[in-house]
Amino acid sequence: MVVTARAEKPVLEARGISKRFGNVIALEDVDFEVHAGEIAALIGDNGAGKSTLANVISGVIVPDSGSITLRGNPISFRTPKDARAAGIETAYQDLALAPDLDIPANLFLAREILRPGALGRLDVVDRAEMRKQAEEHLSAFGIKVGSIDQRVDTLSGGQRQSIAVARTVLWGAAVIIMDEPTAALGVAQTALVIELVKKVRDNGTAVVFISHNLPQVFDVADRIVVMRHARRVGTLDPRIDTMDRAVSLMTGAAELHLRHL
Amino acid sequence: MTGPQHAAPAMPARGQAASTRWDLVMRLGLLGIIALLVIVFSFTASGFLTLQNVDNNARQMAVVGILAVAETFVIITAGIDLSVGSLLGFGGILIALSLAHGLPIAGAIAIVLAVGTIVGLVNGGLINAAALPPFIVTLGMLGILRGLTQISGNGQQVAYNAPTFTNFAVNSTFGVPNIFWVFVAICLVSGFVLHQTRRGRYMYAVGSNLESARRAGINVGATILTVYGISGFLAAIAGILLTARQAQGDPNAGTGYELDAIAAAVLGGASLFGARGSMLGTFLGVLLVQILTNGLNLLNFDPQVARIAEGALLILFVYLDRWRKPKMAVA
Repeated sequence: MVVTARAEKPVLEARGISKRFGNVIALEDVDFEVHAGEIAALIGDNGAGKSTLANVISGVIVPDSGSITLRGNPISFRTPKDARAAGIETAYQDLALAPDLDIPANLFLAREILRPGALGRLDVVDRAEMRKQAEEHLSAFGIKVGSIDQRVDTLSGGQRQSIAVARTVLWGAAVIIMDEPTAALGVAQTALVIELVKKVRDNGTAVVFISHNLPQVFDVADRIVVMRHARRVGTLDPRIDTMDRAVSLMTGAAELHLRHL
Repeated sequence: MTGPQHAAPAMPARGQAASTRWDLVMRLGLLGIIALLVIVFSFTASGFLTLQNVDNNARQMAVVGILAVAETFVIITAGIDLSVGSLLGFGGILIALSLAHGLPIAGAIAIVLAVGTIVGLVNGGLINAAALPPFIVTLGMLGILRGLTQISGNGQQVAYNAPTFTNFAVNSTFGVPNIFWVFVAICLVSGFVLHQTRRGRYMYAVGSNLESARRAGINVGATILTVYGISGFLAAIAGILLTARQAQGDPNAGTGYELDAIAAAVLGGASLFGARGSMLGTFLGVLLVQILTNGLNLLNFDPQVARIAEGALLILFVYLDRWRKPKMAVA
């Protein structure tokens, strides 16, 4: 197991996280950390605890024990809203967007810019300003759409996913969690989203990337955390470690191998 | 350059063009149908293009039109309010009773508006809190209000004497009936709220996808309360105006008006699936329903023929609406 030594402290650090659902142990004493400008992938078989861990970080699930710190400060989230307020965003797939609204309306959903002065006090939205900022933001991340005024339901799956990711960045998230962001996408669309995820990383954001797709994980991740049976069983460096190594950790073949040596 | 960049040609433009084109077709189609009806009725129905008839139509469409505006707010959030017609009736009896008992006009109006708003908020509150379908909540409310209306007026017409009040509904300003001005003002304010304000945008967002609106941080419950509250408030206004116009309270007023209101909103482009519709569209829908009803009436058709046509058009438009929303493109 290779753990890359890093000078700076992680942006987000979870220590000793445990969670049970009745008799089922979903997470057992799990540590997890992600640094600014890093894509940390979470891999593991179905039921290994990846999504539960992501849900703990994003405030959807409150853990039974363990601690989380964000930029060194202890935090405890009761709801996803708490997590969002602290700067942890989840890029949900289609659940993130209002399909009948156009791109600027979606990027600024629930964070609308109001017109200055008296009109703003009358709750009047500033369409032109939001449209301008939306254009700038999309072009900064190289997201291409036919027209900025398109309704989101007229976009391709990859474009929608890109808009959902772009929105989390626009709102200054320090940590973005992506659970299977390319699961429903074709090859070309997947490439678009992966390109965007790397740009978001280069922008200094910490990305938690959950995927079943090992070649993709090895392509995109800076560090790979492997889960198995509710535990963290290893950390891989995609530049050095192989996919076979990842598979053996995920399936437990590595343990067996050690035991029989 | 920060302008929109052009995508690879295969990807997005087709769906967008198709849906925009569809909206345009609907809007132009609506104008075309209205123009066609006006032309046909002008030649066939004697008395159609008289000042008297136009004035009459303006008065009739004002009352139903206000209900259609109310319905538009609710339909945009993917809800429905079946209680608007019976709330109009209840508000109408309530204002007649208040005036008959000697309450000042302003006080009576204030009471009825408050009652209408509260009824709307109860609708919205039940939909929120009990997670009941809007269809059932407002259908139940329809029954409750109809019963209350009959009981409060003993099933009789309620006479009152308030000349200032009735004169307002009879008189015109600049040649246009006052109650039509009220309708126009309501359309303008509603259009402003719906299309220019943040709260209006939240109504579309909730109708588009309730769960994503919630996750984005929109207060979904407050938005739903707001639209049903507005709906109740507007239905109360419609009841007040109708009672003023008829110079008495009619316990059967507004019966079946929910069909007119929903049909006008849907013909005007509001989608029962939510997030589609506009105040201009609803105004055109109201105009279409009014012209159709009036023309058939002048042509000596049984009044029920207009109901049949209206019901059939409603079903047809909801059927067509299914093709309006492009399916989410598969990647």
